[in-house]
Amino acid sequence: MVRYTIQRIVYMIITLLIIATATFFLMKLLPGSPLQNTERLSPEQQQIILDKYGLNDPLPEQYVNYMVGLAKGDLGLSFQYDNRPVTQILGDRIGPSALLGFQAMVLGTFLGLLIGIIAAIKHNTWLDYGSTFLAVLGISIPSFVFAGLLQYYVGVKLEWLPVALWGEYKHTILPTLALTVFVVATIARFMRTEMLEILNSDYILLAKAKGISQTSTVVKHAVRNALIPIVTILGPMTVGVMTGSLVVERIFAVPGLGEQFVLSINTNDYTVIMGITLFFSALFIGVIFLVDILYGIIDPRIRLAGGKK
Amino acid sequence: MEANKKKLDQLSPELFQPQKASGDESEKISRPSLNFWQDSWIRLRKNKGAIAGIVITAIIIFFALFGPMMNEYKFSDQNIRHAKLPPKIEALSGISWLPFDGKDADGFDVYESRQIKETYWFGTDDLGRDLWTRTWNGTRVSLYIGILAAIIDFIIGISYGGISAYYGGKVDDIMQRIIEILVGIPNLIVVILFILIFEPGIFSITMAMVITGWTGMARIVRGQVLQLKNQEFVLASRTLGATSNRLIFKHLLPNVMGPVIITTMFTVPAAIYTEAFLSFIGLGIAPPRASLGSLVNEGYRSIQSFPHMMLVPSAVISLVILSFNLMADGLRDALDPKMRK
Repeated sequence: MVRYTIQRIVYMIITLLIIATATFFLMKLLPGSPLQNTERLSPEQQQIILDKYGLNDPLPEQYVNYMVGLAKGDLGLSFQYDNRPVTQILGDRIGPSALLGFQAMVLGTFLGLLIGIIAAIKHNTWLDYGSTFLAVLGISIPSFVFAGLLQYYVGVKLEWLPVALWGEYKHTILPTLALTVFVVATIARFMRTEMLEILNSDYILLAKAKGISQTSTVVKHAVRNALIPIVTILGPMTVGVMTGSLVVERIFAVPGLGEQFVLSINTNDYTVIMGITLFFSALFIGVIFLVDILYGIIDPRIRLAGGKK
Repeated sequence: MEANKKKLDQLSPELFQPQKASGDESEKISRPSLNFWQDSWIRLRKNKGAIAGIVITAIIIFFALFGPMMNEYKFSDQNIRHAKLPPKIEALSGISWLPFDGKDADGFDVYESRQIKETYWFGTDDLGRDLWTRTWNGTRVSLYIGILAAIIDFIIGISYGGISAYYGGKVDDIMQRIIEILVGIPNLIVVILFILIFEPGIFSITMAMVITGWTGMARIVRGQVLQLKNQEFVLASRTLGATSNRLIFKHLLPNVMGPVIITTMFTVPAAIYTEAFLSFIGLGIAPPRASLGSLVNEGYRSIQSFPHMMLVPSAVISLVILSFNLMADGLRDALDPKMRK
């Protein structure tokens, strides 16, 4: 287990280094510079600005500087917001995104588990068909379509909740709902399949043969075992919520990371794009790592170190 | 018990005849012999969701191919005087709950007040372009990107996974390490970076999705081939002197086709989704061309006053992804021999 963990950490660091290197050189390939209104600036002024961002150094030196800065947690200065370090921008923006992501995950997991369990217990009834269809629908409707519809019908037409912006708690409700659909659908589908498999297994038959009540069989024997594999879809779910946040935050004008990312793409703010890219990648890699380790701990049937070849 | 015994006594022995126990009879195959695909087709036909998916997809593909030719407007024709018209279909305008009566969100007949004789079936956008033509043209682009990405994933995935598993050893080791690193990178990020560097267009968007997209397919093919290559029928064929080529194409590939087809079917909606997503954040198809995603994006800007501009392409894209998902789900169940009853 320890050896496996160390091996995984080494892999994580290699992957992150590759991502950082790739993003760095990709950004250098892109057109554009921090200079705006080039025609108004004298060559000397342009030189001063380029010096400030270290853009006059040879490429290898820029690369080393960037990587050293990265190791110290310094992501450079934004091209668009004068003199603001990228880390500060990320810090300001992370709160709303984290809150929305957390709410969507918790609500989605709860609803998804509930729907999945009910569908499995009522297998081949209209409840099962209905919830399965809803789950397929939830996976199929793109998050921006769902967010747009929510905003239009609940916000504009019914005026129940604010259309957009950020501040009070009620502003978080619609974006959370828009983000959570994907999570609910994924978890419900997964849970249903897991539960069906377990409900057909021998130990459930034994539990029933012993005369244990239906509720107790389902709660104590089926659900507890079905929950274990759910941990594995935490990775794809994080990606789903991350991806969703880009569009949902834009639609509801939430001052979060996703909105900043889209904004930076449209304004060519390369250092910020790099920063958010790295942050998202690190988050994703971290979650995958955590899932693998957690899985070994909660399911004693899996021995990671021995299982690997 | 007693009652049953009495009932049994009432039955006369003549009612019973001994079953003929001839060897030929019991060995006879009573069900018609079906190959794998016939068997799967029978299961697929019973799946209502999958059939609905196939029908919807067929309808959408039909409109994507022929829809743009059904009226006289081209997807890039602009007519500012006809801008922002709500949908109107003469034949359906009498049905009040359908939004095709040419009235806007406040129930005001725009066609009449602006004295426009032409009808636009899905309405027009803010430049007066016909949304019917643009929607189906966009569907065409979206489907094209989805299917192209799936085909390229299919080719790369099969070759990479097949080679990795068939040759094994060091080759497999190195090829798997490469995949492990690629899988660790969130693909959305790669896609976005890729498109930032190359101009957004149909080809660059497809390529961006393929760069990381093929890994899933390669892993599935590798797993399947590893499982198959040590089975007896492969050994038998090898003993008879079959070449590597024959083994791969005659014995291994046909047997991995099931999971491969399922994965491909799931790739199509995923690619369509990603393209729509990219278009929505402004990295997709450039105007005047349109995809479903860019149409939703354009429509979203005026959702408050002209909701039809977003609702129409939204409905189509949701239907496309939904029907592909239903089909893929059905195929997954149908191609699984364990489901045979």
